[in-house]
Amino acid sequence: MIQREEYTPRPAYGAQIRKDGEKWTLILVRELRHSPEKVWQALTDPAHLREWAPFDADGNLGTVGSTVKLTTVGAPTPLVSETTVTRADAPNVLEYKWGGFDMKWELEAWAGGTRLTLWTNIGHRFIAMGAAGWHICFDVLDHLLSGIPIGRMVGPAAIKFGGWQRLNAEYAKQFGIETPNWPPQVDQK
Amino acid sequence: MKIKVTSLYVDDQDRALRFYTEVLDFAKKTDFSQGPYRWLTVASAEDPNGVELQLALNSNPAAKAYQQAIFQQNQPAIMFFTDDIKGDYEKVRGRGAEFTMPPTDVTGSTIAMLKDTCGNLVQLTQLAKW
Repeated sequence: MIQREEYTPRPAYGAQIRKDGEKWTLILVRELRHSPEKVWQALTDPAHLREWAPFDADGNLGTVGSTVKLTTVGAPTPLVSETTVTRADAPNVLEYKWGGFDMKWELEAWAGGTRLTLWTNIGHRFIAMGAAGWHICFDVLDHLLSGIPIGRMVGPAAIKFGGWQRLNAEYAKQFGIETPNWPPQVDQK
Repeated sequence: MKIKVTSLYVDDQDRALRFYTEVLDFAKKTDFSQGPYRWLTVASAEDPNGVELQLALNSNPAAKAYQQAIFQQNQPAIMFFTDDIKGDYEKVRGRGAEFTMPPTDVTGSTIAMLKDTCGNLVQLTQLAKW
């Protein structure tokens, strides 16, 4: 059992980007030691999302056509975006939008666990930041499903505890993009 | 307390960044994203540590209605100050900006108004010297 303060993410892995003009898609693959049913619940149930996801949901995401408000956690000014679930084939495929982002989740049974794939489009300047953020979220999710939660790490908490800055640089290098200037190196006085 | 940043709603942050940096000569200050959120600010190149202008994506229906209403009433969403309004007018117009009012004398100042290409009118102001 690890404590939150002891958590250190492994180096960047399991990520690809697909470029389609200005629209870039981040594809992250994780192999989790938990059943697709269990992972599905963590992806759709607001009480589970609150423990690991970068947004809070005011309703369940597991039903096609349902309208749910997603609140980005830790945004510098409050951001709530309303979404409609466009696909929910439990426990395999889930699709909805988060703000302007398409979110597609695929869960495949794999060696007694789940191979989880996320496709999400992110502006290309921020794609390494997004990969770093999701990397940490997935680690938190894995711990949560193992019954040893280390607590959600998003926004400022990720930057503070999660090795996020290192991951950001690693993913930027993997993707062949410049490391974004964040946290800003400029004088903030 | 200090006034450090003021916010302006824009309907496209990439287009806003181009307008405020390439047409108005401001400098990008901070640009980061968290999920669908993007915090984007610019500052005056003449005063890089001065007040920042946040270019906030207008995804809020209430704010959109307000933005459109004041635009239609020819009300500026933001005002910038210059020491050379005629020179700036020619320079900015030369870069393709669309002015709705050329430099015009009013009480205490000379003002001009232009579109920011992102749903707003911007007023340029030069205070009169008495």
